[in-house]
Amino acid sequence: MSADARCLPTPTPEPEPASLGALDLFALGRQASAARDGGLGRRGTFVRGRQLLASGGWRGPRDAAESTVDDADVVAVGGLPALRAAGIDLLVAAADSPHARSAAEAGLRLLLRVPYRVGEGDRERLDRLAAIERAAFGVWGVMPAPLGEPYGLDTLRFFALCRLALPRVAHLLADVGALGPRLAQMAFGFGADELHAPIVAERALRLGANAHNPSLTRKEAATLIRGAGLAPCERFADGAIEEVQA
Amino acid sequence: MTNIFAQIRDKVRAAETLSFEDGVALYQHPNLMELGALANEVRERLHGDRTYFNRNLHINATNVCEASCRFCSFARLQPGDPAAYTMTLEEAWGKLRARVAANDPITEIHIVNGLHPGLAFDYYTELLAGLKRIQPNIHLKAFTAVEIFYFAKKFGMSIEAVLQALRAAGLDSLPGGGAEIFAPRVRKKICDDKSDADEWLEVHRVAHKMGLRSNCTMLYGHIETAEERVDHMLRLRALQGETGGFQTFIPLAFHPDNNALMKLPGPTGVEDLRTYAVARLLLDNIPHLKAYWIMLGIKTAQTALWFGADDLDGTVQEERIYHMAGAATPQVMHPTEIIRLIQNAGRTPVERDTLYNVVAEGAALIPDKPFRRDVRRSLEVVS
Repeated sequence: MSADARCLPTPTPEPEPASLGALDLFALGRQASAARDGGLGRRGTFVRGRQLLASGGWRGPRDAAESTVDDADVVAVGGLPALRAAGIDLLVAAADSPHARSAAEAGLRLLLRVPYRVGEGDRERLDRLAAIERAAFGVWGVMPAPLGEPYGLDTLRFFALCRLALPRVAHLLADVGALGPRLAQMAFGFGADELHAPIVAERALRLGANAHNPSLTRKEAATLIRGAGLAPCERFADGAIEEVQA
Repeated sequence: MTNIFAQIRDKVRAAETLSFEDGVALYQHPNLMELGALANEVRERLHGDRTYFNRNLHINATNVCEASCRFCSFARLQPGDPAAYTMTLEEAWGKLRARVAANDPITEIHIVNGLHPGLAFDYYTELLAGLKRIQPNIHLKAFTAVEIFYFAKKFGMSIEAVLQALRAAGLDSLPGGGAEIFAPRVRKKICDDKSDADEWLEVHRVAHKMGLRSNCTMLYGHIETAEERVDHMLRLRALQGETGGFQTFIPLAFHPDNNALMKLPGPTGVEDLRTYAVARLLLDNIPHLKAYWIMLGIKTAQTALWFGADDLDGTVQEERIYHMAGAATPQVMHPTEIIRLIQNAGRTPVERDTLYNVVAEGAALIPDKPFRRDVRRSLEVVS
């Protein structure tokens, strides 16, 4: 096991955001991957998490390594003071969430959902990312969140832009629920370093209404990451990570 | 590995044909971006930004099938099976009549069926003839080589006689299905009771010699090895060298749901892109590479347009074979959406007919507002 870099990695020299739009798809992928590798190494992570719901109940296993709450549910569960008491260590929030700053100041890690929509220009996106980069509070990670059905290439470009335009943000998560496992895996070639999916004990049969079930077993998650050319690692409660052997 | 890749890149840039060993090395190459960029070079050398699609209709007239392929979720072995169906000719023709009534300018009907033990040969010839009566200029791309070989055996005809009779009834070209993986080891395990590799290839050889064009496929992502995929592609390339009749290679991603191989995970997105890239590099004499969105999913199919593919197939309308295997894609994609998808990829959409004659492009293709967002805009710097 090795300690995870909880603090922000040392920024590696990156292209100026304004010039990112001039890079081709493969150059973007290569640069974004190099930026990830420079900060975190050639590894992709996943974590067994659970989510505190507005009802006060939990979704996910009792012995999860990470406890999260969505910013939409913060008030319902009793506000920020209650989150610490509940053992929450990660707030998943919109970039303009009213809770973001106070949560970060209260010591919670902050994962920001960064929206993108098919049809936007790079300028618009880079402006949005620049606002996050300028934020006074620490952002642990960002997770691209498509508005509407995402396109493949558009999504991969946006991942690369996120990695390259946010050198102070350590983690870039690929949401299996929003992207599907295929596109989420491809995102590792464009700077992503973590799969965001419910990690379950038994493989789900994706039939009928269950066709889009985003849950993955540890083996499935590791296979996707390994298939993307990275060392698959599981992240644990204390921030430690451990490589999953084949 | 890097040295090997550099050598392969030199061969590709010199337009040299790659070897079996080269193909295997490409499958093992760890850097997908390098592989994709090289495949994209070839794709752009052949087609520039042009990306093809057509307006088509799929008809799967029966799913009753004598074969027991373990990867198949479509076939039903007995006519009495609750999920078995066989369209009457009127029902099948009604699919086209509905499109005609809707003023849908489809140019192709793609027909693939089970190997039904109870249907007479007349059913198939009448099926084609009736469709041609409804729309004489429609292109009928019908019956896989497996079906053609089955007809030949069942009705005591030569392959050539079967094809001649079907052609007289309206057959215009053959789809590429049924190839699966040519390696006997794999076929023995997943499809040991239908035509083998040599028989599949022979049907296409005969068709090509008769002047019929056809497509070819490979079902990947189940129990086959990288070596077996490369062997499959090279056997297709060899036949193409002999006849020149293949138009398009279509890698088909295995779908594991609802079939006997459902314990397998199916290919991942990276495996899809790698297979497309390797295919583009190995199959230097087959002009087109199709990202069949029904099986790949729309997002992966679009991404494949930068990993060697130059064709997205068509509007489809009603697809049963892969949806019964768990494909989560829609059954139809409107041409406007296909055009938007291609443009968003930074490519130039071209509507084609089955034989890749241009039906519409440029302003004739896009009736509504121009599409602004694209990858291309920012790619012009380097391309």
